[in-house]
Amino acid sequence: MMTKLKIPIGPHHPLLKEPISFLLTVEGERVLESSMRLGYVHRGIERLCQERTYVQAVHLIERICGICSHVHSTAYSHAVETLLGLEVPLRTHYIRALLCELERIHSHLLWLGVLAKNIGLDTVFMYTWRDREIVLDIMEELSGGRVSHTINIIGGVKIDLDQKMMDMISEKLEELAPKLTIALGLFENEPTVRLRTQGIGVITKEVARRHCVVGPIARASGVDIDVRRDVPRPPYNNLEFNVITHTDGDVWARTLVRIMETRESHRLIQQILSQLPPGDISVKAKRRVSPGEVVSRFEAPRGELFYYIRSDGSDQPARIKIRTPTLPALSTLPEQLRDVNLADAPVILSGVDLCIACADR
Amino acid sequence: MELNWLQDILTKIECVGPFDIRRLPEDETWVVIPFDKVFDFVKFIMEDDSTWHLSTITGQDTGSQIELLYHFWLGHGLTICARLAYENPQIKSITALIPGAAFYEREAAEMLGISFTDLKDESVLLLSDAWVKGWPLRKEKKEKHDD
Repeated sequence: MMTKLKIPIGPHHPLLKEPISFLLTVEGERVLESSMRLGYVHRGIERLCQERTYVQAVHLIERICGICSHVHSTAYSHAVETLLGLEVPLRTHYIRALLCELERIHSHLLWLGVLAKNIGLDTVFMYTWRDREIVLDIMEELSGGRVSHTINIIGGVKIDLDQKMMDMISEKLEELAPKLTIALGLFENEPTVRLRTQGIGVITKEVARRHCVVGPIARASGVDIDVRRDVPRPPYNNLEFNVITHTDGDVWARTLVRIMETRESHRLIQQILSQLPPGDISVKAKRRVSPGEVVSRFEAPRGELFYYIRSDGSDQPARIKIRTPTLPALSTLPEQLRDVNLADAPVILSGVDLCIACADR
Repeated sequence: MELNWLQDILTKIECVGPFDIRRLPEDETWVVIPFDKVFDFVKFIMEDDSTWHLSTITGQDTGSQIELLYHFWLGHGLTICARLAYENPQIKSITALIPGAAFYEREAAEMLGISFTDLKDESVLLLSDAWVKGWPLRKEKKEKHDD
């Protein structure tokens, strides 16, 4: 009978990019069970937003996440605009979606790099993160910020795209395309990736649904859910794209789903640029919002991003609820980290695409 | 959303009308039900619609009541609103039906002081271990904070 050991991972650990704490109970090479503790980067953003005006809250909301900051402010701005009964120009929707899809490529490449690093493919990690720089460069050219863009305002966006800017994006996308083919092809064709990810961290469709999992993880388990298609609103109702699903539910399936989604996002950006309608980019918004409630759902890189806002007639929200896609994914970890090899734990942890700042808010 | 479908479920779980049903923007329907009927309501939804998805649970302090909002996606939005007493709010946990609701209930518990019966893991989710007392999303907390 081997001795049971308890191995703490975190809250600060070289494996983790953000603070979270796991406690693995190990017998020999087997992980028997695990527990986790969140909250190390809880900043009370929901409460802080309720103490600020609707306009000020945009800047706070952008800082929930360092990867998908734009989709947060898009979901929030859209919710407030809906409460105000504002019809924002069509061009605004396209510019917002452009940044959302750039963020998706950036997020998926980042995740693929983290996975590659955790399974020992450091060269692939460097390829994906190098290629991700092209997307960050585009975002920096567009907004001035690589991480926090702050292009959203209540009523529209702050930046417009001129022909020079669109040419720059098209050129960078052309530069990115062959690099994506090489980097993503390495995942698809390198046998080590399959060996380390197939059958690892399996989440069945039933488990995914009962744990309310969303995004690429849910889709890799066969749950056909994507807000871009399910909540038809511009510009996605005018664009062609495929919702990628898989049935295996393991880390390999999640890898394939993200690879194909990266290609879909590349295609979507090209469509957005070619269909970008002319017109204004914002409308004037009142500072005070009439009493009411609204629910806003957007597809962040990690899945359905949920905002609920209640207004009481003042210039400050009475309640803002934010549910980020990482939170339900984290709830599946105790199930994934039961009776597995210790060497697979890093793959399982990276498999859920940890974004702790998002989960903690 | 078909209102008949909603009224049919409310009748099946023995809710007494008239029903408080509202339409919100973004194809969202809002229904207020007694807090002791939430578990049965969720169970009916899960049996009736195989594509159900629970987006999250929102707890909020309206000043006079504590509200719990269960946000579902059934091809359209459905928010179930349950109103709880301000002092010692209590409601049955739905984690026996939807284990993924545990995080949402734990968050509502520590932020608003709601007690969920049958919730197995009642440990703190987001707040610090050093947090002594008080519920950050209660209005009364704000007044103390401002002082």
